[in-house]
Amino acid sequence: MHRVVVTGLGPVSGIGIGVDEFTDGLRRGRSAAAPITSFDASGFPHRYAGEVPAFRPAEVLRRLRVEDWGRSALFAAAAARLAVTDARLPLPLADPGRSGAVIGTTSGESTVVEQLVAEAVTGGYPSMSAASLRQAPAERLAYAVSAELGLAGESVTLTTACSASNYAIGYAYDLLHTGEADVMVAGGADSVCRWAHAGFFRLGALTERQCRPFDRDRSGILTGEGGAALVLETLEHARDRGARIYAEVLGHGLNCDAHHMVAPNEDSVAACMRLALDNAGIKPADVDYVSTHGTGTPANDLCEARAIRAVFGDRVPPVSSIKSMLGHTMGAASGFGAIATTLAIRHGFLPPTINWAHPDPELPWIDPVPNVARPATVRVAQNNGFAFGGNNAITIFGAIR
Amino acid sequence: MSGVVTGCGVVSAAGDCVADVLAAIRAGTGVRSDVRDRFAEPLPEAEAPAIAGFDVRGLLGRKGTSFLDRATALAMVACGRALADGDLTPDDDNRHRIGVVLGTTTGSLKSTMDFSRETLVQDKPYLVNPVLFPNTVMNCAAGQAAIRYGLRGVNATVAGGPLAFLYALRYALNAIRRGYADALLVGGVEEYTPNTAWAARLTDAGPAGEASAVYLLRRRDAEAAGARAEVLSVATGFAPDSTDAGLAGCARRALAAADVRAADVWALAGDDSDGLSDVVPAAVERLPVRPALGDCQAAAGALAFGALLARHAEEPGAAGRPALVTARSRDGGVAAAVVRGWAGGGDDHR
Repeated sequence: MHRVVVTGLGPVSGIGIGVDEFTDGLRRGRSAAAPITSFDASGFPHRYAGEVPAFRPAEVLRRLRVEDWGRSALFAAAAARLAVTDARLPLPLADPGRSGAVIGTTSGESTVVEQLVAEAVTGGYPSMSAASLRQAPAERLAYAVSAELGLAGESVTLTTACSASNYAIGYAYDLLHTGEADVMVAGGADSVCRWAHAGFFRLGALTERQCRPFDRDRSGILTGEGGAALVLETLEHARDRGARIYAEVLGHGLNCDAHHMVAPNEDSVAACMRLALDNAGIKPADVDYVSTHGTGTPANDLCEARAIRAVFGDRVPPVSSIKSMLGHTMGAASGFGAIATTLAIRHGFLPPTINWAHPDPELPWIDPVPNVARPATVRVAQNNGFAFGGNNAITIFGAIR
Repeated sequence: MSGVVTGCGVVSAAGDCVADVLAAIRAGTGVRSDVRDRFAEPLPEAEAPAIAGFDVRGLLGRKGTSFLDRATALAMVACGRALADGDLTPDDDNRHRIGVVLGTTTGSLKSTMDFSRETLVQDKPYLVNPVLFPNTVMNCAAGQAAIRYGLRGVNATVAGGPLAFLYALRYALNAIRRGYADALLVGGVEEYTPNTAWAARLTDAGPAGEASAVYLLRRRDAEAAGARAEVLSVATGFAPDSTDAGLAGCARRALAAADVRAADVWALAGDDSDGLSDVVPAAVERLPVRPALGDCQAAAGALAFGALLARHAEEPGAAGRPALVTARSRDGGVAAAVVRGWAGGGDDHR
């Protein structure tokens, strides 16, 4: 069995594109929240989201033709390109068949599907464009990464909603750990779209302007978007090429609530944490920091905080939610969490939960690292991801030993 | 460690067991049903390889089924059949070790497009029905199946269109090998709707089909006795510039991983396998799905797998002989699985 390490990071986010900008954004507690520009939101009572207005795919991509791909595929491919550049990974690889891509998503090519809807509303289904139909399948997110980087091994898109990046990282970890591959690019991507904005609004889960996880007065999520990618390698492969190593992937855990499509389940979330810690071979007391799912809805944060309490007991480490800065980037969310966790280990700081004003009297054991990043030694960190369908997925990262 | 198949659950235009799928493939003519009265919207065809008379309430009951979309309902029925056929009853002792891995293309394109459409045509863009929101998420079918049967183990949805089933099978095999699950419902689902019918027509992939086929995959040491087949290996790759060569390479890797000689392969299930003539013997028996059942996308590989199980079941001479299930896509995805089937493993209990 092979140890697995993180050697490259590629964030395409509303608080920064590329690892340097993103790190700076986390340290400063920057917010991506802004009035929506990617669709006409004037009819919505809540009109803010965490978009990536600075995203110019043609400036990042070297091989893909931008017009051939949907926005989510471009997020994934751009994130992957930034990650391999950060990793100084020499491409093409000596054995492209032993490298691949695993990408998670919630809504896949949602903006392409919304284009098809607009065409169908105007002229009926027969007027849907073949080009958009060919861009719509969700598997094209991973294919975009493989095509951009010339990877010939496994190329798979996992559509397990808002924990999908953790599924992707976990699966990529397994492929490396068991010797099926040498290098995997893992992460996730999603795009802001009308239907998700409408759906979350009607569920009563959408906040107006600010996402305030773990605050007493938290009022919901901000929809967000972006692409998050990590270069994962076996330790041997990384050492052989003299790569800089950010952190080690220690393990992961998956389970399913089998309870409700939308409402989280405290017992199941706690069980998933225990699975992940066991898989990583560590104890709760080893964990120095938890990057939470932390959506900012009353229900999620209460459930998650109670599950953390159940697992960590009287020794709950500091936790924070980067969704306070990015919004809820859906299938990319736990990928950004993984990047933030890796940076926390590498640079010795805890990303803050911004917009935090009032402690929640129901959650006295939670230290949300309020508003300001904090210097800290992080040896082991846990990255939570939960999703519609009860799809829980947690990854564990550690400092390289 | 490999996985063994101990149960099948099929809902298809050809019938509700793998023997029906095989019979349709062998007949060589397209299975068709009259679809003219199924939808308010116009369709590109009067007949299609769609499932006739799928009665959700009759099969799943009234409770909690009124908001299910067709893809989700098809998957739930197939999952239930696979559990029953494999004689596995989830209980409080085992449910955390049983899970679901389903292949998809875009989830339910109809659910998503209908929901999105409301944001354009209603007086206010937010006047959508929140109860239908989970149907827009691509893991809806797997999540609902887990709820219905109480399955708390690994639950994943894998997108891949024509490759989705083989991707799901590989994902599931990994989960079993790594000890994350003891039993997984592995399958693919695709629904026939005006959306998929027109999508297939407009991209020259048609006619669109529909099906749900799910298999109960277990650890080999758990229940080798009742096994219909053993999944020895699955290999995948991405070869947009040379899909023929990519698929051939993939098949060779799968055979090597399974420690099987190419010359011993006796059957080849799946569409678009022309590129494999240099790999497998010329006399290999081919089981293509599309001519009989249309473009079933994420269900296509699952139907091919089922046809292979049925072929093994009726052919005692093929017991234990290895076969390949392959798939490829227009975008360059390639995958191949090596499967060993046994006689007497059919699911035709009529």
